[in-house]
Amino acid sequence: MSPDTIIQATNVAKWYGAFQVLKDINLTVRKGERIVICGPSGSGKSTLIRCFNRLEAHQEGDITVTGVVLHDKMRNVASVRRNVGMVFQHFNLFPHMTVLMNCMVGPMWIKGIKPEAAKKTALQFLERVRIPDQANKFPVQLSGGQQQRVAIARSLCMQPAVMLFDEPTSALDPEMVSEVLETMTSLARDGMTMVCVTHEMGFARAVADRVIFMNSGQIIEEGKPHDFFTNPQHERTKLFLSQILKH
Amino acid sequence: MLYPDTVESEVIVHKPWFITAMFAAILACFLALNLTGTTMGELMRPVIGDPVQSGFYGRFAIAFTIAVIFCLNVVLIGFAPLKLQIAIVWLELLLLFLAFFETFHLSLPFIREKLPFMITQGVVTTLYVSAISIVIASAIAILGAVAKLSTNGFAYAIATFYTSFFRGLPLLMQVYLIYLGLPQLGFVIDAVPAGILALSLCYGAYMTEIFRSGIQSIDRGQWEASRSMGFGFGLTMRKVILPQALPVIIPPTGNQFISMLKDSSLVSVIGVWELMFLARTLGQKTFQHMEMLISAAMLYWIMSICLELIQSRIEHHYARSKVR
Amino acid sequence: MRHFSKLTALAASLAMALAVVPAQAGAVLDRVTAAGALKVATDANWAPQSFMNDKNELDGFDVDVAKEIGKRMGVKVVFVTPGWDIITAGNWAGRWDMHAGSMTPTKKRAEIFDFPAVYYYTPAAVAVHNDSKATKLSDLDGKVVGATTTSTFEAYANQDLVLDAAGAPPFKYEFKPKVVKSYSNSTTAFDDLRLGAGVRLDAVVSSQPSINDAKKAGYPIKQLGEPVFYEPLAVAVERGDPEFKAKIADAVQGMKTDGTLSKLSVKWYGTDYTVVK
Ligand SMILES: Nc1ncnc2c1ncn2[C@@H]1O[C@H](COP(=O)(O)OP(=O)(O)O)[C@@H](O)[C@H]1O
Ligand SMILES: [Mg+2]
Repeated sequence: MSPDTIIQATNVAKWYGAFQVLKDINLTVRKGERIVICGPSGSGKSTLIRCFNRLEAHQEGDITVTGVVLHDKMRNVASVRRNVGMVFQHFNLFPHMTVLMNCMVGPMWIKGIKPEAAKKTALQFLERVRIPDQANKFPVQLSGGQQQRVAIARSLCMQPAVMLFDEPTSALDPEMVSEVLETMTSLARDGMTMVCVTHEMGFARAVADRVIFMNSGQIIEEGKPHDFFTNPQHERTKLFLSQILKH
Repeated sequence: MLYPDTVESEVIVHKPWFITAMFAAILACFLALNLTGTTMGELMRPVIGDPVQSGFYGRFAIAFTIAVIFCLNVVLIGFAPLKLQIAIVWLELLLLFLAFFETFHLSLPFIREKLPFMITQGVVTTLYVSAISIVIASAIAILGAVAKLSTNGFAYAIATFYTSFFRGLPLLMQVYLIYLGLPQLGFVIDAVPAGILALSLCYGAYMTEIFRSGIQSIDRGQWEASRSMGFGFGLTMRKVILPQALPVIIPPTGNQFISMLKDSSLVSVIGVWELMFLARTLGQKTFQHMEMLISAAMLYWIMSICLELIQSRIEHHYARSKVR
Repeated sequence: MRHFSKLTALAASLAMALAVVPAQAGAVLDRVTAAGALKVATDANWAPQSFMNDKNELDGFDVDVAKEIGKRMGVKVVFVTPGWDIITAGNWAGRWDMHAGSMTPTKKRAEIFDFPAVYYYTPAAVAVHNDSKATKLSDLDGKVVGATTTSTFEAYANQDLVLDAAGAPPFKYEFKPKVVKSYSNSTTAFDDLRLGAGVRLDAVVSSQPSINDAKKAGYPIKQLGEPVFYEPLAVAVERGDPEFKAKIADAVQGMKTDGTLSKLSVKWYGTDYTVVK
């Protein structure tokens, strides 16, 4: 394994009871890489990226994240999680804290950073996602797009080695999608390692180094965006692309 | 408030059929009761003559008058704006209530004489026993709720056994069990600690359920976000889940506190001089127990009202992060 | 006076089930002398034996007797007021040393308690409404009679009174009611009786002092005939400390001989209840 490998999954399999969600997944994410995962609903995309910070447990194969092997007896899972930022479809901001506090608590509680320093970092990242003026509001007072950008800022405050996005724009009104995508694009431009589950094909084309297509728990196609969109190999991929690009 | 319609519907108390029905019901009600021998009969003397002699005519006249007054009152209140309606109805009920107490011919000087002691000894004891108990009960409830939600079989078993046992026994029995049973194990505890222990354990069991449902009402996403940031269980619970669960937990906990305030009277059986104990003892010698019972009732009521107010303030406070 | 109530039975069986540990010989006495204080359990709700007076302090015949016993033992007296059920359950665990609360020394209770001294007798009597047509006790045959639940008065009305207490004088049943109504205490029974002769009750069996008190408080009732039976009432201590028991017995005997006890009775009841008429 080369030193700049951030995530490595080999022969990963996972079951929910008798139902196999992930089948023989092999995937390597290197530092600075931007990977987009797409595929039909229920194909296991969320499950896969949730395995990368061990919100879900896999049963077979190996997952190594930032050099640490994930398994069910690990003691240092928190040290992996603080290195892996995650952005959820439904933002999952802490509604009882102000936007600023949302961004401060991670560094303060996990890294033991002083409040003043944490506040400075938080404001810096809120600036980065272009909502510093909302810092003292509560999440419900913000629009969906703003909330998602706060969620991104909250993850960034932990200064993670990799960011995972699980359909960050699919709960948003159309006019708010672009503001979040812009934020993500600018992150990508700054060299952040990203794994994004998304159906925003424009984003994939513009930013992704690799696009991965999943179907019923398997990676069935993988390629550079240009090849993937113009010359898909697999029948299932063709069908999927024709459906989402139709409109 | 329920979800109000933007189109005003006709006020029900102004519909003729409703007024008629109400009038008929009240008339029938008071016809059935013979009020000729009461103050009401005396008031009607100019119309019906000697109340006792007036027979059915007197009875009918009284019932009719009451029905008219009642319906008129309801119809008139119907015209008032909401806030005024509430105030008037409260006031009327209160006056009726006072009139009811008036019929006992209570000795006010006696009440005035005993009230200071009832407050300094009774109310104070009741309040501090309840307050300490609710604090301990809340602590127990958090532990119990976490244990009940945990995957640790040992903790789960203890928690479910505990809630089942203490919710299943009458509180009075628990007071006896603790006061009489603990000395067998070598712990001779006084009446007040025994009472506090019993109240805490009993209410802890009820509140375990409240806390459990409060914790469960929090979206999974909060746990996931917390965990994905590397927060451990304790941190997540203390800083993320419980603060959000509190608005869900506080209203029923307030109810529990109010009901504990009254249940704390059960510890009077082991000789704690709280409000109920004094209510039963102070007027006993001079047969003025009604005075003391009603004073105690009022004091309990006032305490409950204060708690209700505090509760609504706290609810208000927690509603802050919900406003848009 | 008051016999085992249901709660007492519960509390007692609870205490019994958990193996009674008897007090050690001399242990209670040592504790009392060491502390310089005699902890006395009594009722706060049993005027005129023990009740809260105008100064909100415990007062009454039982209270005075207890204070006098303490005085003669050379210690001060501290009162506690646990419920009757708790006291009669026994197993005091050193929370208090003596009970001065008009306890009838029944055989059953003698299994748990020692009774150092009978200090007075309560005459049980029958009260009727002032308007009552009854002129003698036998007029109450077939009538409705009220009494405190599970008390000796109720047992008398039901004609199944067993006065097995040491020193109890003999008695006979003077009437046979149709219905015996139970009340949680004598006051509620009097409250029903005051409504009128035969409205809810025709008569109440209760202690003579309680009838007199109710009369004084303006209840429209009167005593019918002579007392129906006398109940001996004693100081109680937990079994197992004969020295302590003897000390108390001495004190009470002293009060009897020098007339203090009779004086206290006259003070509180207007008559001398410390001897049977
Ligand atoms: N907790 C669970 N228990 C059982 N089945 C689950 C659970 N979570 C997800 N699944 C199933 O696993 C499959 C993959 O889910 P998911 O990873 O959420 O798909 P995607 O994100 O690609 O839409 C779906 O068929 C879903 O029904
Ligand atoms: Mg998904």
